[in-house]
Amino acid sequence: MELNVNQDNCLGCGVCVVACPVNVSISPEVSGGHGSRTEEIIMMVENGVIKLFSKEKCEKCGTCQMFCPVDAIFLE
Amino acid sequence: MIANTKEVKDKGFDIKRSAEEIRNLSFKDHVCIGCGICESTCPVEAIKVGNIGPIVRNEMDIPKLEIDEEKCVLCGMCSGICPVNALDFTIDNKSISDIDTYPKYIASAEIDDETCIHCQRCEVACPREAITIPRSLPERSKLVTGEIEVNEDTCIHCGICDEMCPTDAIDVNRIPGEESILINKDKCVYCLICKKSCPVNAIKAACRSCSYGEYDIDMSDAVTTGSSFIDDETCVKCGWCEEICPVDAAKVKKQFKGTLNIDQDKCTTCGTCIDVCPCDVLSFPESAGPATRVPNVGKEEQYCIHCGACERACPTDAIDVKITDVDYTPTKSKSWVDKFEALKNR
Amino acid sequence: MPKHIASGLKYLAAIELKKKGFNQQLIADELEIDRSTVSHYLNGRNLSWNSIDVAKTVTSMCPKDFLIMTQSLFKDTDKTRKIVSICKNNEFEAEVADSCIACGLCVDLCLMKAVSLNSLKAQIDSICCCGCLLCKEGCPTNSIKILEVKNDREYERG
Repeated sequence: MELNVNQDNCLGCGVCVVACPVNVSISPEVSGGHGSRTEEIIMMVENGVIKLFSKEKCEKCGTCQMFCPVDAIFLE
Repeated sequence: MIANTKEVKDKGFDIKRSAEEIRNLSFKDHVCIGCGICESTCPVEAIKVGNIGPIVRNEMDIPKLEIDEEKCVLCGMCSGICPVNALDFTIDNKSISDIDTYPKYIASAEIDDETCIHCQRCEVACPREAITIPRSLPERSKLVTGEIEVNEDTCIHCGICDEMCPTDAIDVNRIPGEESILINKDKCVYCLICKKSCPVNAIKAACRSCSYGEYDIDMSDAVTTGSSFIDDETCVKCGWCEEICPVDAAKVKKQFKGTLNIDQDKCTTCGTCIDVCPCDVLSFPESAGPATRVPNVGKEEQYCIHCGACERACPTDAIDVKITDVDYTPTKSKSWVDKFEALKNR
Repeated sequence: MPKHIASGLKYLAAIELKKKGFNQQLIADELEIDRSTVSHYLNGRNLSWNSIDVAKTVTSMCPKDFLIMTQSLFKDTDKTRKIVSICKNNEFEAEVADSCIACGLCVDLCLMKAVSLNSLKAQIDSICCCGCLLCKEGCPTNSIKILEVKNDREYERG
């Protein structure tokens, strides 16, 4: 099982960035809706679409997938 | 070399070795809670438990665990140690839970039918929908007593009583030429609403329960009867039924004693543990009002079976589940005892 | 040729049984051969000495090779078991460690039917054990030790 994104579907809403518990642990400022100060986190919205940075840090809890409104981020 | 065969059925499967005896390991996906105990117990590392979070949350169509049939030696340890019997191991079609030499957990959930009042509280509370309490209610007509009569000559078949009657006991036909009024005495509770609402005083009724009390009511007719059924396959012995039963009819014996600790600082409230927990132990607490702080995740530990599924699924390592005591039947096999005892050091 | 070697093995078995005091009829029954054939064997007739030499070589190979070779000559586990148990050169004793998980692989692997499970532990009957080590090699937890106890039998040309 691996974390994947479909950038064509992504609205750039950033819900996954905030919902991801690993993201929030690494970079607490994202939970306030701010961009992360570090690229150490799993995913971030860049130029309006989601981008994976450190997908190996994914703990595969499925939270991002549950919150994504358009199936742009998912475990497979 | 004797090869195992694997037969996949939906998300479950059977692994079989037929030689001197027929050994068969059956996995039931719908019973599995994803605790990972089998994975850490398997002596040949043949079991891989999946990521339970996304499987239960996103209804992914994949089995909760996989067993490599080429590695599996069909020893049955995973079956013996599975706290919810999702893996059933049989030798010559006899389950090892029925073979005395194999250790098994001492755990049970029972409802005493003598004490049970069939309120169905446990049925509603059971997080696994393992309980059914079929019941038959007493006949309403036997719990009330009274008299009711309609004067057909006075009745104008207006239908007011029909509409007002709270128990649907009155049936008025208002079609001109076919007018009639019928009162079903099995449904009538002598509330006298029809009598009071009749615009032409056509109904005579009296409630005897009020004046005579329960004098002519046989209380043995007032009893709700029923039975109880716990589905042993899905029951996880979490204790909800015991806790919620108002008459102490449900008794649960758990196989593990242990502790459940949540590091609220590490928790980011993603809710994975809540979705994964098979026993409805965890929840997001209600706010206690403005300017108050509640924990990120709340727990009702009395329902916890200490299976560790939440700890395994937590993406931020915020949960620590420890088993301090394991209750199982004795066995002469040191390796099996070691595996049961190892649960305390997970 | 394989048939001749098989006959050679039967010959050796017949000689062994004779040493143990079996009469001709019992030997014939035990090895499922004609009584007249047994009589020929015991009187040193009928077989080419070359086949018997090869058969002797087979019995003196390491126990696993002896067993597997015999199995491939006879293509019959019951017969193989009989020949090997009569002609084996050594006796073995087994130790099963507490790490045994009772998976039963050894029971299934043993051609000699020497292994059984007792109280979730493998038990190896040293009378039946031929020392082939198939159980030890198949054991997933490395719990079996097979020890050779003595080596005191020699075949004499009859």
